[in-house]
Amino acid sequence: MTFRISARWVALPLAALAVTAVSGCSSPGDDASGRAPLEMWFWGAPAAHQEALQQNLVEAFNASQDEYELSVTFDPDVDANIQTALAAGEGPDIVYGSGPAFVAPYAQEGKLVDMDEYAEEYGWKDRILAPMYESGTVDGSLYALPNSVNTLGIFYNQAVLDEHGWTVPTTIDELVEIMDEAQEAGLYSSVTGNSGWQPVNENYASLFMTAVAGPDKIEAALTGTGSWTDPAILDAVETSRDWYQKGYLGGDDYTSLNFTQSMQLLADGQSPFFIGPTLAFQFATDYFNDEAGNTDDLGFTSFPTIGEGLASPLYTLGTTASFSINAASESPDGAAEVIDFMMSQDFMETMTAEWPGYWGVPLSGVQLDPTEFDGLSADYVATLNEMFASVDAGSFGYFTATFFPPQTQQDWINIDSVWNDVEDPEAFLQQMQSDFDEELAAGAVPPIPAQG
Amino acid sequence: MTTITARASRGALGRRLRGERLAHYALLAPALLLSFAIVLVPAVATAITAFTDWNGISSSPAFVGIENFQEILADGLFWKALQHNVIWTVLFLTVPVVLGMGTAVLLLTRRRSRSVYQVIFLLPYVLAAVTNALVWLNIIYNPIAGVVGYLKDQGLAIESPLANLDTALYGVAAVDMWHYWGFLTVVYLAALRQTPAEQVEAATLDGVNAWQLFRYVYLPHIRSTVALMFVMIVIFSFLAFDYVYLLTQGGPAHSTEMLSTYAYTFAFATFQFGKAAAVGLVMGLFGLIASFVYTFVSRKGFDA
Repeated sequence: MTFRISARWVALPLAALAVTAVSGCSSPGDDASGRAPLEMWFWGAPAAHQEALQQNLVEAFNASQDEYELSVTFDPDVDANIQTALAAGEGPDIVYGSGPAFVAPYAQEGKLVDMDEYAEEYGWKDRILAPMYESGTVDGSLYALPNSVNTLGIFYNQAVLDEHGWTVPTTIDELVEIMDEAQEAGLYSSVTGNSGWQPVNENYASLFMTAVAGPDKIEAALTGTGSWTDPAILDAVETSRDWYQKGYLGGDDYTSLNFTQSMQLLADGQSPFFIGPTLAFQFATDYFNDEAGNTDDLGFTSFPTIGEGLASPLYTLGTTASFSINAASESPDGAAEVIDFMMSQDFMETMTAEWPGYWGVPLSGVQLDPTEFDGLSADYVATLNEMFASVDAGSFGYFTATFFPPQTQQDWINIDSVWNDVEDPEAFLQQMQSDFDEELAAGAVPPIPAQG
Repeated sequence: MTTITARASRGALGRRLRGERLAHYALLAPALLLSFAIVLVPAVATAITAFTDWNGISSSPAFVGIENFQEILADGLFWKALQHNVIWTVLFLTVPVVLGMGTAVLLLTRRRSRSVYQVIFLLPYVLAAVTNALVWLNIIYNPIAGVVGYLKDQGLAIESPLANLDTALYGVAAVDMWHYWGFLTVVYLAALRQTPAEQVEAATLDGVNAWQLFRYVYLPHIRSTVALMFVMIVIFSFLAFDYVYLLTQGGPAHSTEMLSTYAYTFAFATFQFGKAAAVGLVMGLFGLIASFVYTFVSRKGFDA
């Protein structure tokens, strides 16, 4: 007996299958509760921090109104996935960005919503620190708001300092002296590293630009009135190279360590310092806590300036991320409402208490009371207060990820070629100037807030 | 009457044949549609993009001719990355091939236990790249808590190979080869087992040694498999990305920069998809050359 398949019975289901496969899903529309869905993608934060965001943003926002239903997806590859989705005219309602420099190309191509009307409705311009608000504008219109300020400085382990008779350094000479003595004592001078994330390099590029060249020189270079080959900037690059080669940045293990491991080494007493961004407070909570009994050991201080005539402290101003509204969103009003929910002192306080380091919402005129916070959050709040005051006074450095156009930022990320003597500093900066000139001519440079 | 019956019979046969042909096309359609949608369309789009200044977002990219190619060819980093891909290819055409072939030959004589060995050797290949990379980063190469850290504690002057500009590329390649060689073992073993047993027995009775047995009996039978794997290795070597990105992201100081990471930076860091596509075309070119060589040799016959 033979079994023959009729062509018709094969073709029809296959055709139906093919149509189903290529037709995709239907539009989500409102959910069963009648609320319009709102979607946000976020980076793959640690589980405890995801829980904090779920509770304090998703659940709190959904409970605060009955028109929208917010959901957050945590994605370790959020940057690349957001880019792909936006390019395809898809993606979440609320667009998580890796910083304002990311925003300009999408804004110019109409992929993001012009938020000027929302800014007026919610009074964002008056509520947000002026340089931070400005950093999210493109051609004068608002397209992004930063979720948090980020700066660079020195985490220190007070127990290690006490053990060796050192005090918290306030000048560059004191800092270098302690780092040299730490090396002699068999410790790391300081710990940090770029394992798994090459852009960590730009933290130190930004740090030395602020501390050695000074904000005025960088502002001039960024606005095209100065040059990247300025001797002061050359000095900054050479100083960073010298520090790297002397082992002041993670010793021999810079390429093998990440921030989490660095914080662990700091807690273990393997180093007196961890030079890095304030967002690293979020990694400190795992190693400096009440359970370990060492919460009070961790401190944070500003990085002393090196360049002649520069005031100290001088904070490098940056952001951890930014939020925009997808032009393809069916609920831009709801997305704006979510962003406004995050731009509040209540949200800042709640999140900072549970997730220090990542939610220093740049609110103008806000001074949180450190005594109302526990553990590391208190240290973080104290740092925020100092920084906000400094920024309000118009004194701040420029973080590459926040204020530099994409190719120039990438050039600074490649500074490890100078550190490893693969490229000489002069050629490095000449290439920088060439790339920057092209980006300036193409209008790719984000707005540069002026010094006070 | 006979003529009518014959005509009717031919008509029925024709309808049946047409029906069968339709069924064949219908069965083929999903694969063709998929290939068209996820291979041909992106390939053509990439080729077109390589001649534009597309930033990954714009709906109206400008045609820039061969400018992207001129710029990448003038960039020292492109040649460095290409050199790394060539080194990578040479490494993969030797180390895992020799290891895989040697192990496969040894397993030929292990009739009862070779299945277990194959599963063990294949394990790294079936694990996700990110898992393998994390294992090596944290358990092997970690200078604090890994094997490298342990050896340092024992007083050995050793550092993570990924931290040294001279060894980083080999450090990454070692992880990828570790994950890949077991796959070659299984493929070669499967091919070796197709060799007629009587030929092996005859050669053995003639008193050949192990090398002669491999060279004159086994190798001629597996030549097509060896050639195919050669081509696949060349193609994969010029597309190598996952382990490089997971372990070093092209660093330190571009010492592990490959064409793929070079293209990735253009696409996802500096919004230059046109240049990224141009690099992609160059990457594909090497695979294409290898494929042509394979096709040419196949047509001539592997025994020739």
